[in-house]
Amino acid sequence: MSNIISYGIGLPSFRIEEDKLFPPGGKKGMMRSICFSDEDSITLAYDALSDCLKVMNGDLIKVNTQIDGILFASSTPLFQNRYHASYLADLLNLQQGILALDFINTSRSGTDALLLANELIDSGKYKNILVVASEVCFPEIGKEQSTPFGHGACALLLSNDKGIANITKAKSYSASFAEEFSYKLNALQYDPRFSRDEGFKTNLADALTRFATNPRNYQAIVLNAMYARMAGPLFTKAGFEETPFAKDTLTAKTGNTGAAHALLLLINEIEQGKKNILLADYTNGTNLFEVQINEAPEHLSLQQALAHYQLIDTYQNYLCLRKAGNFSAPEYTTRDMFSSEMMLQREKETLLYRGGFQCVKCETVYYLRSARCKHCKGDEFKTIQLQNTGTVYSFTHEHYFPSSFPPITMVIIDLDSGGRMTVQQTDTMYAEKNKIEIGARVKLVLRKMIENDLKPNYFWKAIAHDE
Amino acid sequence: MSKQTDIAIIGIGVTKFGELFHQSYDDLVRDAALQAIDDASIAMDDIGAAWLSTAFPEIGVFKGRSGMDLSEPLSLYNIPVTRVSNYCASGADAIRNAMNALRAGECDVALALGVEKLRDRQPQDSIVKLMVEYGHPFLQKGFTAAGTFAVYANRMMKEYGVTREDIANISVKNHLHGSLNKKAFYQKPCTLEEVMKSQMVASPLTVLDSCPTTDGAACVIMVRAEDVDHKKHKPIFIQGLGLSVSTGWDLPFFDPNHDFLSFEATQKAAQIAYKQAQITNPIEQLDLIEVHDCFSIVELLTYEDLGLCKKGEAKDLLRGKETQHGGKIPVNVSGGLLSCGHPVGATGIRMVVEVASHLRNDAGERQVKKAKRGLTHNIGGPGAIASVIILSNEN
Repeated sequence: MSNIISYGIGLPSFRIEEDKLFPPGGKKGMMRSICFSDEDSITLAYDALSDCLKVMNGDLIKVNTQIDGILFASSTPLFQNRYHASYLADLLNLQQGILALDFINTSRSGTDALLLANELIDSGKYKNILVVASEVCFPEIGKEQSTPFGHGACALLLSNDKGIANITKAKSYSASFAEEFSYKLNALQYDPRFSRDEGFKTNLADALTRFATNPRNYQAIVLNAMYARMAGPLFTKAGFEETPFAKDTLTAKTGNTGAAHALLLLINEIEQGKKNILLADYTNGTNLFEVQINEAPEHLSLQQALAHYQLIDTYQNYLCLRKAGNFSAPEYTTRDMFSSEMMLQREKETLLYRGGFQCVKCETVYYLRSARCKHCKGDEFKTIQLQNTGTVYSFTHEHYFPSSFPPITMVIIDLDSGGRMTVQQTDTMYAEKNKIEIGARVKLVLRKMIENDLKPNYFWKAIAHDE
Repeated sequence: MSKQTDIAIIGIGVTKFGELFHQSYDDLVRDAALQAIDDASIAMDDIGAAWLSTAFPEIGVFKGRSGMDLSEPLSLYNIPVTRVSNYCASGADAIRNAMNALRAGECDVALALGVEKLRDRQPQDSIVKLMVEYGHPFLQKGFTAAGTFAVYANRMMKEYGVTREDIANISVKNHLHGSLNKKAFYQKPCTLEEVMKSQMVASPLTVLDSCPTTDGAACVIMVRAEDVDHKKHKPIFIQGLGLSVSTGWDLPFFDPNHDFLSFEATQKAAQIAYKQAQITNPIEQLDLIEVHDCFSIVELLTYEDLGLCKKGEAKDLLRGKETQHGGKIPVNVSGGLLSCGHPVGATGIRMVVEVASHLRNDAGERQVKKAKRGLTHNIGGPGAIASVIILSNEN
């Protein structure tokens, strides 16, 4: 029906353990992944999407012209009246005018997007569709314990070409009954003993019976649902003999990543080498997928992202991180900083896509355009794609520039492609652990400029690059 | 080319630099201009054209956007008055324009005045605010002025074996000099330890490695050399003046060929000025130098750019105390920007006034003995634009 060609992961580098988040009830070792102050659901989605496209063959531009759709899913949208999907398409330099839709509202929306992408490719009208689910939910301060949140994003590239996996069957089963939802922004929770029977159990049992015509086939069952723990008997009833439930090992490492969670669970099983997977995603109705894996992925993005993190060591620091934009610098409080959508649009090729200019005569590479080469005065340039990795030429820690976590480190980077950029270092909540030296290897990541966070403003920042 | 000593400075004036809460922009203009007019023994209406140097009008009350802000406080009307803006080289550029107008015959007496009123706002509200809130939303966002020079310091330390102590010792030297200057903002010596332990601004530079941005004004009156009245005037002659824009606002940080070890602008400006003044061995042919020590590191690397020593040897010149008062080539005997303070538009002219007073043997306690020829240097923007002026008491 459709093929998964590649996938990508966007996980922030910070985690907080539950014993820090809500003592004394919280357990050490149980972690939530938390965005740094310059990350949001757009930057996580961007990370996931570029990871997904990079795996293809490194030739981003060529791939980008072949993408004919992008579907974005989140239960915590950043915009209203603006499509996240088309915003991301623009950030990725995809073609204008492609299909770009948002699936917003529920934690099932990630697989909703997957379902539609699968149908569209199956119809023959679309060839390559990106699906991305991204979730950045911050609960009310003090309500961290009762909100199973975690920040993360997952992207899949679906195609009619052969890939690492096939979606051989997909179906969605609606339910009128919901256990937990909000009405006029008030959270409602029906009596669970009643609603679990009427909602979850009834709907999932019915869906399984109708979908799983050959229930003994599956090597792993991925079930993403609030009441997953009481689903065993439902599967037995539907003819599954020994239910090979995939254990949700992610929640302990990242928390529940909402709309992205089902997709991340699927990827986790693919990376474990499972061959035939049933994916069930329940929220007020069930999405069911049958996924067959053709080959193990070469690069285990999810395992790598899970293995590398920095711990936030106090609840106070977690609060500081959430107050992004409330700058602490000596006597500085203003937030109203200059930003212009005209500039961003006009200078997109350079600012966003890192299109550089190479002097035809002396081959010096510039990030910024000029009429003539500073070095040899040649007036002919060709445009080249600047890489996102490089080496630190010099740096300084700026103690007087407003920042949530001063000092801001400014890094002058010689890019591997040639060309030089000067940007802020990020993920520097703990300055001591993130010290950068001349000669250090760094990578550029797309982050919010929190100095002008009153509008979407994304630009490159540097993080340490372990090769 | 023969020496171009056709232009003379016949009047000089400078206000105290500092937090001049009791003086307005207009008061500062009057203070400096009236001193210079008095010194030149001319009447206000002898002035045929004037240049006003103010770099940051938006920090005050929009004073200094146009030449009229010089005319108004002096009632100096019905002559051409132009505002010059070239970052920290604004003052020197006002002098350059005045010089060229005298040469072109536009006027017979020219006035160049630099003034900056920065302390009508609190420090966090002034130049730092410009870097934070205005400018390009992405490019260089995160830098303050200190940071744009601190990256040179870190590279110098890596490349040339310059130590943190060397950089701090520039500040110690200049603060020692400044303790003798009654018009300086800081008139107090400081120790190496005090510099190293003061509040960090942009690593490795601390508060005492950074000049304070202050209020102040300075003024010179210039005529053609043939119009000097030796009975009335103690003329100082401009032997050379070079100004060079050698990079841009953003380019230094995005140019893969930039080594962060020197300022090309200083080298080019010095080249022009040295050629006019026929200087081939500056350390031997100059008696004192005022260098743009906005941050301590800038003075250190400027030794090399001005050709006082070879590349990488600036630290040796400093360690040998050659640039201290009494050394081979005293640098910043005024106390420099680090002690005097830095009213941006006024600084270049303040330096010319300083060197002129030594060449007139009028500098009091800090007089450099037998000074015949001196140099002033400014560097503006992120090392983008530099000026070098060579002054002599002989023509």
